[in-house]
Amino acid sequence: MEWTTTIDAPGKVCLMQGNEAIVRGAVEAGINFAASYPGSPSSQILDMLGKIAEERGFYAQWAANEVCAMEACIGTSLANARSICIVKQNGLLCCADALHCGAQHGVKGGMVIVTSDDPSAHSSTNEFDSRFMAESADLPMLEPTCAQEAKDLVPYAFELSEKLRQIVIIRLTTRICHGRGNVVLGPLPQKPHQLETVSEWERLTCVSYRHIPMLKTLEDFREAFEVCSYNSYEGPEKADKLIAAAGTGVLYAREALRRLNVQDQVGLLTLASIWPLPEKTILKYLRNAKEVLVAEEVDPFLERNLQAIAGKNQLTIKFTGRGDGALPRVGELMPDYLMSAVSNLIGRPLPEKEEEQEAPLLERELNFCAGCPHRATFYLLKKALKRSCTKPGVVIGDIGCYIMSGQEAGHYAYQACNCMGSGINLAEGLGQLHRFGMDQPVVTMCGDSTFFHAALPGLVNASYYHSNMLFMVLDNSATAMTGFQPHPGTGITALGHKVEPMSIRAICESMGCQVTEADPFDTEGTLKILEDLLSQKGLRVLIMKQACATLMSKRHRAKRRVYVDQTKCIGDGCGCDRFCARVWGCPGNSWDYKNNKAVIDPVSCVGCGVCADLCPAGAIQVEGGDENEQA
Amino acid sequence: MISTFALDSTVLQEGLCTTCGACQGLCPYWDCVKGRTITYFECQRQDGRCQRFCPRMPVDLKALMEKAFPGENIIPEIGPFRSLLLTRAADPDIRAGSQHGGTVTALMELALREGLIDSAVLTKSKNTLDPEGVLVTDPDKVRQCSGSSFQIAPALAQLNRALADDRCHKIGVVGTPCKTLALYKMRYDPLPDNDNHAGNIGLILGLFCGWGLDWDGIRSLTEKYADAGSVTHADIPPSKYHSYEIRAGEKTVSVNLDEVTPLVRNACHYCADMTCEFSDLSVGGARSKDGWDVDKGWNQVIVRTKLGQDLIELAKAKGVLEFKEVPDTALDKIKSASSGKKRTAMRYLHEKYGSESLGYLQPSADWLKTITD
Repeated sequence: MEWTTTIDAPGKVCLMQGNEAIVRGAVEAGINFAASYPGSPSSQILDMLGKIAEERGFYAQWAANEVCAMEACIGTSLANARSICIVKQNGLLCCADALHCGAQHGVKGGMVIVTSDDPSAHSSTNEFDSRFMAESADLPMLEPTCAQEAKDLVPYAFELSEKLRQIVIIRLTTRICHGRGNVVLGPLPQKPHQLETVSEWERLTCVSYRHIPMLKTLEDFREAFEVCSYNSYEGPEKADKLIAAAGTGVLYAREALRRLNVQDQVGLLTLASIWPLPEKTILKYLRNAKEVLVAEEVDPFLERNLQAIAGKNQLTIKFTGRGDGALPRVGELMPDYLMSAVSNLIGRPLPEKEEEQEAPLLERELNFCAGCPHRATFYLLKKALKRSCTKPGVVIGDIGCYIMSGQEAGHYAYQACNCMGSGINLAEGLGQLHRFGMDQPVVTMCGDSTFFHAALPGLVNASYYHSNMLFMVLDNSATAMTGFQPHPGTGITALGHKVEPMSIRAICESMGCQVTEADPFDTEGTLKILEDLLSQKGLRVLIMKQACATLMSKRHRAKRRVYVDQTKCIGDGCGCDRFCARVWGCPGNSWDYKNNKAVIDPVSCVGCGVCADLCPAGAIQVEGGDENEQA
Repeated sequence: MISTFALDSTVLQEGLCTTCGACQGLCPYWDCVKGRTITYFECQRQDGRCQRFCPRMPVDLKALMEKAFPGENIIPEIGPFRSLLLTRAADPDIRAGSQHGGTVTALMELALREGLIDSAVLTKSKNTLDPEGVLVTDPDKVRQCSGSSFQIAPALAQLNRALADDRCHKIGVVGTPCKTLALYKMRYDPLPDNDNHAGNIGLILGLFCGWGLDWDGIRSLTEKYADAGSVTHADIPPSKYHSYEIRAGEKTVSVNLDEVTPLVRNACHYCADMTCEFSDLSVGGARSKDGWDVDKGWNQVIVRTKLGQDLIELAKAKGVLEFKEVPDTALDKIKSASSGKKRTAMRYLHEKYGSESLGYLQPSADWLKTITD
């Protein structure tokens, strides 16, 4: 796919994913520096940038976390570099301090932050509307409605950023990131942006007296946005019914107007400049309007701000949208929602919908992949906690694939899970309560990527203050959930270079932690280790080492054949009750309902063979392959 | 009711579980750690061996007894009864390592040696603590299991594993009343589609039991009064001594029984069986006019079935046991003590379930009432 991002063919039309279009936009803008931490739905952007960086003469980095990425970008700006930082909503929140300080001191070389929001939290723990961060930090924000705009807004944002010496944020949402559309390519620069010597008296410092100039800059952006060609209007010259929309809201509104055939009755105001809002442009349309429907992703941000503009100008307008329930208050927008809201707006009943012919999909809970080491880890943790203590263990989750352990996949492992890297800190606090008689074992965990991302200060804290807890690092050698991006433990960089991997064990030990390593696939041995650690006091670190199953199958490990001896399987009889398929729950352990016996799904099974160790009837057999074989 | 839930809610949560092990060794759902029965995951079967075998699930003792001991003389207070004996092992080595007279050790050795059984599920403890069930096939290894522990071991888990293996076909079992009741449930109330190879259970040798003790509690108490690693014997002399004796090395420490009573396992308060009524023969400490110093080297034995009687006669013929005269009053004393335990159990059960219910013994309520009134 990378050729579309580097081909020098102005005017050529390419079908592009939104994320890809951002990459193309960055290349057209001649960036010098890109940094990110993976997060859906925008993880692919730096993946692609990394692959073309050396060819296009810029540097790309998978940073240890978003704060590192964002601050690195700010740093390069001092040398007049054009830098792009890509984060998801939660990542942007991580960077709140850097963002607010950055806004106050501004930038020299252009700096663009691409943030991706995940309405309905398809690949996230929570919804968040990052537009509030722009408002809060007094930073300009743009939002594209399609891949073409996603590409075009990047060079536009860099130009504005350099002209007004301020960071510019581009907000994407999942459908924009992953949706595809035609993109007309622009010209590529001959070479990347020109770096400059950092002079002795140049300053990018966050000081309070910069507050007023910062607000002045924001007004300059407002003026610039009054003439922003990405803001547009379609519909009757004077519309008393108006839809104001941004991002996907524009697409769904346009579709609803077309399907209801009321394009000539209802106006559609598209706002690409989300913050600060171009008040004059907006007022031009508000003055004619009696009723305004606002279509936007996540929160009623535009709705409230348009209400404020109307109020300030004594306009009497009825506003509807996500704020008043005309559109759902939470979750992703859908074309049908807009159909219904636009029908209400024009006072016409909703046309009857054709019956859907397709059978509904089965509802399924999220589950660990076949052969996932986390399944074994949480199976063993559940057992070890029951064995080692009469009171329930207190388990704190964290962010990564293992967040699914809170569901059936992990036997409802944890009582609390906050944000990325929070597990160790929640546990640290609980681990101090032993002095007041709390005698429940406290356990938390994080993955290897999360370990580098946000657990290190927490580990320092827990170690220094001798918290009474077990900290498990679930080291599957991958940032698995977002697609196997490298992290400092992997020994590879975004550019594909091999470097010395950092040892999680050595880091923990250097912090004074007692470290044990275990293999979750060694169910018997690791259960003993867990039980032993749970019975101890103080801070204990357990590194669960077993590679991600998907990673292993990617590396083409010699696969072992696992099968169920049908004569031995006792099915749902007393003594088993479908233990492999129902309790162990690996997608590879399937069920033959006709014969009421277990079967292995050869397509899903990766050959880890753990279920063979657990089968109470000894019916699961493993054949061939060397279990220790590593490609 | 879903099996794991049934046991968990009606037995474990209610504090009725003695950790006999009857629900264990059968499946991946039940296990036991240090006298604590645990369930790891939920089994969703409606019926299962765990709830059928559990001696704390509802049971009609009279009906089961009539089914299990057809034609035997059943004395309501103490169950099937052929004779009462006072015995001890003839071999002084056995006596030296045993709780009282070494009768159980001598009989199990004999049964194994003579092929009455091909294996035995026994309980082995180290320094009277942390007992575990073991499967013994070598008669010479029986005496390694001599001596008692006041912690109840989940020995039936071991039995269940041995039954599933189906390699031993006449397995002798030594157990407390909760365990042997479970064995008769295995025999006479099997799961329709899974007999658990209960036919492989052979001789059942019961132990008189007042109660078991909390695992952690008795460990702490032992550690408080003795070097736990050198304890060789623990016993409770007749009630007038009001003590719990711990022998460690050359020394015997006498602990006031008041320190021990609170450690009695809650589940044992609800037990209505002192003499291990469900067994081929049952063995306890002797009580006679000779006094404790003599009695502590003897056992009293209730012979209950033909199998039990055959074993005793074989022991007599082989000179494995020594016998002495049983005082005339002995049987009445046992009956009275046994009724006392039944009354206590009923009192505890009524306290827990109200005056209208005896909980798991409700199906046996009428019978128990006639015995204790």
